[in-house]
Amino acid sequence: MIRFGPENLRIPRFERPVYVVAGGMTDFRKRYPEKNSSQLCMEALRMAVEENDLKVSAEQFRRMVNWCVYSQFADHFGDQLLAAAKIHDYLGFDPLGNIEVKTGGATGGSAVLAAAQAVASGYASCVPVVGWERMDEVSTKVGNSYIASAACKDFESELGWMYASYYALMAQRYQFENEVPRETLAKIACKNHGYACYSPYAQNPGKYTIEDILKNGVVSDPLSFLECCVMSVGAAVLILADEETAFKLSDHPVRLTAICGGTHTLRTADRRNVPILLLPNEDENTYKDYFGGKRHEWPGFSSFLATRYATYLAYHMAGIKDPMEDFDLLETHDAFTISDIQSYEDLGLRPYGRGREFIDSGDAYYEGRLPTNLSGGLIGTMHSVGATGIFQIIEVMWQIQGKWDKFHADPERWIRYGKKKPADFRSLQVPNAKRACTVSHAGTGSHVTVAVLEKVKG
Amino acid sequence: MTVELNGTIAEPISQDPLVIKNLKTWYHAHSYGGWSKFFTGLTKGRLLATRCTNSLCGEKRLWLPPRCECPDCWHPMEWKEAPTIGEIYTHTTVEYPGELFRASTPCPLISVSIEGVCTKMMSYLKEGKPRIGMPVRAVFNTSRPTNTILDLAWVPA
Repeated sequence: MIRFGPENLRIPRFERPVYVVAGGMTDFRKRYPEKNSSQLCMEALRMAVEENDLKVSAEQFRRMVNWCVYSQFADHFGDQLLAAAKIHDYLGFDPLGNIEVKTGGATGGSAVLAAAQAVASGYASCVPVVGWERMDEVSTKVGNSYIASAACKDFESELGWMYASYYALMAQRYQFENEVPRETLAKIACKNHGYACYSPYAQNPGKYTIEDILKNGVVSDPLSFLECCVMSVGAAVLILADEETAFKLSDHPVRLTAICGGTHTLRTADRRNVPILLLPNEDENTYKDYFGGKRHEWPGFSSFLATRYATYLAYHMAGIKDPMEDFDLLETHDAFTISDIQSYEDLGLRPYGRGREFIDSGDAYYEGRLPTNLSGGLIGTMHSVGATGIFQIIEVMWQIQGKWDKFHADPERWIRYGKKKPADFRSLQVPNAKRACTVSHAGTGSHVTVAVLEKVKG
Repeated sequence: MTVELNGTIAEPISQDPLVIKNLKTWYHAHSYGGWSKFFTGLTKGRLLATRCTNSLCGEKRLWLPPRCECPDCWHPMEWKEAPTIGEIYTHTTVEYPGELFRASTPCPLISVSIEGVCTKMMSYLKEGKPRIGMPVRAVFNTSRPTNTILDLAWVPA
């Protein structure tokens, strides 16, 4: 579909307000044979219910739940079809209804969208979203071929069996069109590995210099190993509720003002160009000068139509006029450094072609205008795929609730995961965080959800 | 009646926790269905694309990969020989492929733009060093076909 009819761009609406109330997660590891997937989900659920200062007991909470959403990317990895039924039983939620959601890397975001739809429509009032991935049953090389099965197996997967390569194709084109210095990409990896140092949940923390990143082994040029997301085992659970239930559960629920989805062709090859879908902070003049001749070559391989479409809907739904002004923090799906830069533009943080300025200016850092991926992101902390989009929303929810320190700074929490809190630990709590955005993303932009979360006034 | 085990075991990798090997050795009988003509064509040195037969459809260009139905109007498509020259739109060189990769590394992957084709097909450069804008021509693996997309490759034109 190339030409939008008016209803294709209809702004979604919730029939009643939707809140996120509590979240929990495991730590994330490359290999986690000590716990099976059911146990990981139980651990994340118990943390959500028992450690988020809820005003009800675990037993009372169980009696309030009326629908569940499960989120797992790949049956290949878990090697258990209908795993959701096994986990639903293990968590003690039978005979409540449930649904399992699958949209590749964006599965977590789509699962939260499905839960939000249930709450917004009145179908349910209290919904746990349970996400996990177990990627350690096979070798990394086999794992990469499983992930590449989420490219088109007829026309793409055979070409490398490696998703990093499909992003590297975009990276080369993006660099060609926009002359982005290699160092700018590396900065994103440094930042996110660096923030992961302050997360007890993180799988791949590290203090790297730009030089370290650039000297690191190349997976598929230009991307080095340290610029690619981790392959993880772990789980995350987020509780959604309607207004009445949310305030019964918590004094500090966070409003989910929007969560919207977009798509584009699974094969990057099949992307035809369309006019740029303009955001509220852009107009016809935005691209008059510097985008010039390239304007009708959008999105090409340099931009994600799925992200821009989801952003367009979410910003209009949540009343966002300018993301740089309206958001206090952001979690992007930094599967690869290149996709992060692309996403900055799709989100309207900078006009197309100028995404590098968002990182080069310092805006993306804790001290900057719009701190991004303080969680450590997919590069530093986790990409336990089914859990990822849920993890992102939990991290920003805790920020808005002012609970970042509670869940990251307590030395006991580090000990729980067999780690020691670093001596140079620093708090990444954003003071007075009111509004945040998260992006969940699949394929080379095949599915994307964009969510907006907002502090409740009062 | 006595039930006997067949003698195979799930070999343990570790004891605590008990981790076992679950073997998988079967194949999937995967059909290319309506796209078979494309893959058979490669083994015969032909690059076959499709084009929408609906005269009212806005998309007049060829599709590669081919589709049997047009995504814009859902009308049937017809097969057409595609040009076998193009230029490199973007590239990357795979150093660490995933399991199952059938080619040697480093392997330059390329996306090829072809005049009159609305897509930019992913393939690989069999010889030479890729650069954006480089003219390339298609070559076909007809001697010992893999029956996969790897039967199509490109070389500098």
